[in-house]
Amino acid sequence: MNPIDERLLHLTRRSLLGDISRGIGSIALGSLLHPELASASATMLPGFPHFAPKAKRVLCLFQSGGMSHVDLFDDKPMLHKHAGKEIPPSVKGTQRLTGMTSGQSAYPVVPPLKGGKLCGKNGTWISDLLPHMQTIADDICVVKTLNTEAINHDPGITFMNTGSQLPGYASMGAWVSYGLGTENASLPAFIAMVSQGTGKNPGQPIFSRLWGSGFLPSSHQGVGLRPGRNPVLYLENPPGVERDQRRAMLDDLAKLNHLRAEELGDPETLTRIQSYEMAFKMQTSVPDLTDISSESKDTLEAYGPDVHKPGSYAANCLLARRLLERDVRFVQLFHRGWDQHIAIARQLPNQCHDIDQPTTALIKDLKQRGLLKDTLVVFATEFGRTVFSQGKLDDPAMGRDHHGRCFSIWLAGGGVQPGITYGATDDFCYNIAENPVHIRDLHATILHCLGIDHTRFTHKFRGLNIRLTGVEESHVVKSILT
Amino acid sequence: MNSKPFLPILALMTSSALAAPVMDYNRDIRPILSENCFSCHGFDEKARKAKLRLDVQEAAYAERDGVTPLKPGDLAGSDVWQRIISDDEDDLMPPPKSHLKLTDAEKAKVKAWIEQGAKYAGHWAFISPQRPVVTKGTGNAIDALVRERLKEEGLKPSPEADRAMLMRRVSLDLTGLPPSAEEVQVFVKDASPGAYEQLVDRLLKSPHFGERMALDWLDSARYADTNGFSIDGGRHMWLWRDWVIQAFNDNKPYDRFLVEQIAGDLLPNRTEADLIATGFQRNNMVTHEGGTIPEENLANYNADRVKTLGESVLGLTLGCAQCHDHKFDPITMKDYYQLFAFFNSLSDRGLDGNAGVNPGPFVSAKTVLKTDEVPALQTRIASLKQKLASKDEALFAAWEKRQMSSLSQRGQGFKAHPVKVLKVSTPNRGNGFEMEGENGVRLPQVADLAAYDVAVELPKVAEPITGLRVVFHPVPTLPGGGWGSGPMERKARPAAKAKGKGKAAAPTMENELPKKGSFVLTGIGITVDVNLNDQVNLHKLEKIERTTANSWLEKFPPAAALDPRNDSGWSPDIGTQGDVRLTATFDSPVDSKVTPYLTAQLVFGNGKSMIPGHFEFLVVTGHDDDSDLPEPVIAALKTDAAKRTPEQNEMLWSYCSAHAEELNRTRVDLANAEDRLTALTQPFPTMVMDVSPKPRDTFILNRGNYMQPLEKVSTGTIASLPPMPDGSTSDRLGLAKWLTMKSHPLTARVAVNRVWKMLFGIGIVGTPADFGAQGEWPSHPNVLDWLSVEFMESGWDVKHLIKLIVMSDTYRQTSASSKELIERDPQNRLLARGPRFRLPAELLRDAALKTSGLLVPTVGGPSVNPYTPGDLWREVSHYGSTPATAQTFVQDHGEKLYRRSLYTFWKRTAPPPNMTAFDAPNREVCTIARGNTTTPLQALVTLNDPQFVEAARVLASRALQYQGDEPARLQWAFLEVTARQPKPEEMAVLKSALARERARYAAKPELAEQALSVGEAPRHAAIPAVEHAAWMQIASLLLNLSESVTRN
Repeated sequence: MNPIDERLLHLTRRSLLGDISRGIGSIALGSLLHPELASASATMLPGFPHFAPKAKRVLCLFQSGGMSHVDLFDDKPMLHKHAGKEIPPSVKGTQRLTGMTSGQSAYPVVPPLKGGKLCGKNGTWISDLLPHMQTIADDICVVKTLNTEAINHDPGITFMNTGSQLPGYASMGAWVSYGLGTENASLPAFIAMVSQGTGKNPGQPIFSRLWGSGFLPSSHQGVGLRPGRNPVLYLENPPGVERDQRRAMLDDLAKLNHLRAEELGDPETLTRIQSYEMAFKMQTSVPDLTDISSESKDTLEAYGPDVHKPGSYAANCLLARRLLERDVRFVQLFHRGWDQHIAIARQLPNQCHDIDQPTTALIKDLKQRGLLKDTLVVFATEFGRTVFSQGKLDDPAMGRDHHGRCFSIWLAGGGVQPGITYGATDDFCYNIAENPVHIRDLHATILHCLGIDHTRFTHKFRGLNIRLTGVEESHVVKSILT
Repeated sequence: MNSKPFLPILALMTSSALAAPVMDYNRDIRPILSENCFSCHGFDEKARKAKLRLDVQEAAYAERDGVTPLKPGDLAGSDVWQRIISDDEDDLMPPPKSHLKLTDAEKAKVKAWIEQGAKYAGHWAFISPQRPVVTKGTGNAIDALVRERLKEEGLKPSPEADRAMLMRRVSLDLTGLPPSAEEVQVFVKDASPGAYEQLVDRLLKSPHFGERMALDWLDSARYADTNGFSIDGGRHMWLWRDWVIQAFNDNKPYDRFLVEQIAGDLLPNRTEADLIATGFQRNNMVTHEGGTIPEENLANYNADRVKTLGESVLGLTLGCAQCHDHKFDPITMKDYYQLFAFFNSLSDRGLDGNAGVNPGPFVSAKTVLKTDEVPALQTRIASLKQKLASKDEALFAAWEKRQMSSLSQRGQGFKAHPVKVLKVSTPNRGNGFEMEGENGVRLPQVADLAAYDVAVELPKVAEPITGLRVVFHPVPTLPGGGWGSGPMERKARPAAKAKGKGKAAAPTMENELPKKGSFVLTGIGITVDVNLNDQVNLHKLEKIERTTANSWLEKFPPAAALDPRNDSGWSPDIGTQGDVRLTATFDSPVDSKVTPYLTAQLVFGNGKSMIPGHFEFLVVTGHDDDSDLPEPVIAALKTDAAKRTPEQNEMLWSYCSAHAEELNRTRVDLANAEDRLTALTQPFPTMVMDVSPKPRDTFILNRGNYMQPLEKVSTGTIASLPPMPDGSTSDRLGLAKWLTMKSHPLTARVAVNRVWKMLFGIGIVGTPADFGAQGEWPSHPNVLDWLSVEFMESGWDVKHLIKLIVMSDTYRQTSASSKELIERDPQNRLLARGPRFRLPAELLRDAALKTSGLLVPTVGGPSVNPYTPGDLWREVSHYGSTPATAQTFVQDHGEKLYRRSLYTFWKRTAPPPNMTAFDAPNREVCTIARGNTTTPLQALVTLNDPQFVEAARVLASRALQYQGDEPARLQWAFLEVTARQPKPEEMAVLKSALARERARYAAKPELAEQALSVGEAPRHAAIPAVEHAAWMQIASLLLNLSESVTRN
């Protein structure tokens, strides 16, 4: 064996995954790897997972803008009794409001936009704006007491996705890619997809930092998947270059690279040769992934007509299933437009319509294919919305402001008890009455389901052992786990 | 998880503890105690457990309740040791729940240290550097010191790199650009002893030196072209970026470099340049997100400034002390907020920076770039204008023919059919718009600015639908001359409240917005689909061949509606009576039986003009009966050529030269040249620091929370470091003087380490942003100190410092190395070989541009938008809902495609993907050390990104123009890309590849044409397509060599 190949065999997973502090190394691509190293154990951090995981993958369906818990998941009789009346000061308290409503003279209570039903065996209340989702109540675990200190989008969405309100930190998906590596050598470990909401378009802006790698090696950043001929940027060969031609060219490239690498004793070149091979494989694995022509008519119908609209939430949901089927570690959808300050009566039904059928179809699809049991699904948002109105009641422009003190999300699949509700808010769904779940607790719980102890999952940066869950206290929400 | 410093000790420890070498507290022990003990038994009093401190000798030696933590020379009597080796979980230290654990090697070191007397020492980085004694030998001081270490390790330095490797290395390091084939050939043949030094001197004088040096500083200073948070609108900061480049080119002493950036506004007799320099601490992200709380934002900005100052200048993680005393380094919260106070005196506001306007304070200033381009530019502009002014008869005839043909078709078979409006939406309103009749939309009250999306059902017509028409009706009941409502008159921009001389800013589109009472359609998008879309689908926008109208203002023609940016658009002439209309003709006609639904987005995005009150949608079959030609042009065209008046002829040519496709390139070149001249000669806004008339008070903030102020503090520096020099003022100027005093232990070392990292890929201190207790022990402390002292004594002479290093034998070693050496020292910390690393993102693209000959080497100026796939900005932005700039990506053309990469527009929320693939940071926060990964996404960029594909095409045409036979041309191309001659085996691969590609394209010539279609640079007409395409693949192969992206 020539010394370079031998050297390659000695490359540890650490160097392959690109530890910034090391000078050599580091393939891993948005997380692809050497075929020979592509087994999960080879790409995990040493000692990972810390214990037997319940979930192998994560699907995060992120509703960006601040989804209204009041309207969709947390109805209370008091809201109807108190409709139009001022929220009691004892409930509203003195904590800060955003600049949007802090100057209002009145804070009248607005009950949910539409009725709802108690669904499933345990009677989980879900709005009639989400008729499909009502049918999966027995599959999901609604957490009504998520809470965050952030009261505005940029800090709020950054907090939910990176564990910090300020930029510079690694996203959830990047952390998971870093810790657990990949189980599919020909696709990135972390894939992010963006769709525009039809209730409010454009919605609040989003940022690449939400799927960025922060201080982790950049190879763990989420790779965007988008509609069209280049689902991954720069994927397609340039015009006038055919696949067999590219193959021959890569063979020449490898020959030349080998010659020089031997002369200089450069192991990095060997890594680079492998990265070109992976790129070549991606050129078929990605189009294969995004080609939905083999999906049955029933499946397509289940996801709804929008599944045929490129870049829609529905289309992304179907792609998410195809990604999870291929063992992509972390799949995240961002659906924009949930920021209903204005005209909630007009905007919210549209937003709900965008996501209701596809989300439900995706859960059912995963379940039917046996993927739900080891995929953790996180249906989340950055904060909820105020029970009181922003603007005047009965004005068609009326909406709700941001509300971080409590809001609802749901979890499903690997490691989470189905069909339950956790935590309770007060009669005005304004404050937490019992079992608060901070964003950090959610992060700790997600990691736990993946077999990771969040307190031991650290990355040394600027002298600190940084964790996704930060330095403040955080707990795994054990009561919701199987 | 962090790599540990490479120490000889590690090898020794494992062999025998008896032979334990002498422990050095700073090198061997402090890192262990810091990592495992100090967070509970260190500097942070609040976090201290059992009131025990182990970071200072007196406390650690002191007996308490009969127990002594450390008894020098006495393991049994040292409680620390007993706790470390305890079997009892309750006694064990560090406690198991901390997940911290000493390794056996670490335990052995602590043991040896206690046995040897447990001697403490001050942290090396907090003690001013002294020049170490250097024993004479070959090479310079660096070499002597590096060799001492190598000798200890039993290693020998590697021989000098060959000339080719050396030249490519030093050229890339000092200018960021590879040498040309010709330059390499000259240098390789030049056997004179001074050849290398002459090369170094030449490179240090290159204007590209400043560009190369700026790169790391721009990362540190988190320089970008957008505001970063939330809507992430555009800002103008390139004057600061150019100040940095010029400062390096002028070899501005580093102390001065810092003083001007930190306190330029406070200098006596300050210049405009001094003000520009202060932009360093204005590069932080800002927000104007509605609802955010200004006080909180301002606290965040100042925290970012302190963090950046710490990491980029001091090498300290000051940010740790925002919420509590630093756990590892002697930095209190009070120290932190005293530093914070220096920046808390600006007049910046907590919500600012909307609409592409710089957040205050800012000034209008001219660039500091020194350039002699202006006369040549003026000549070029005159000649381009001349070219456009001189009638080209052939071109005119062709254009005229096309216009006549288009006019003759005008209205042929034209029919307009009303659509059925199904839905109307706009992002920020729930009312104030309604459907009217079958196909109309009415806006009785109007928002300030908005995009309106109208979803319609297409009529079932037999003929193909060729376009969409929007008719705007006057509404007499609305103000604004009947067109609509909203701002009647353009609002004047609030005057800059900035200090400095209030010169007029450069002319912008803003000055040309229509006056009173008109609306501007700033963008139009159309989606046609099988299903109904409430809004246009960004991934499915119809291609629009052209837009016409029946009325427009000269600066606002219908075609301008196709540019989505808010500063251009179509605006009808206010004098028009009756309806006005815009018609968009599709690239390919639509069949309403196949795709029955259409959604149109009308954007009225400038926020300064009216929004129309009533409009209708129709679809067109047959030929549009409007024209994009102005009426007088049509009249003249219709006049028999012989009968046209001289004025008509002049007008026709003038219109032709302003619109004919054939002259696109000339017009782009002219516009670019004019932009360049403007950038060099006119004032532009740039953000600066100032002192507010009413500076804010600064308080220590409980846990960093802006809502919980504690003790009030004034400005001050870190108490545990040397004090400010006598007579210092308590403002930023005092801070700057403190940073740059020669007794400061950190400033010079951090700067030297940054330069070292640029040249060796890794710093002498491997944690360049952290010289504190948690930082890495330097690989060569004496080299760092020798250079730091030399640096200061030379008058902070940056070029002198760099020359010293690149002249060293250490730097000049070959990077070729044995397997054993790489195994022994994978990161090359011992420097027994030359440094090798992958090129940074920017240099990689620049190298491709340079070798292809496409590079436009002008320095500085406003940032540019080269090739980028799709509109990645709009996917994440607030386009259609904000007047902010940088919400939609529009690619530039001409020379702006080929500028060096540090001039690429940096949008923080969606940075250029071909740069981020190669570890470029998003510039949201201070970045000191970029990653250096290898990924398949990188391969996709260099193989498929049009920027690289075009570079391959143009490099191929250069090769084909090289005088020589095929082997000579291959050799030239190889040399041009890699700076060395190919070996026979390599030539063989290239030759056979070329033959194969040639055969392939000869068999499929249409593929050759396709391959050559990439990029906007003109093709060399004389080169046959098949030959060119075949060579293009060879060029791409060369640009993708591992060697090409690596600096050996």
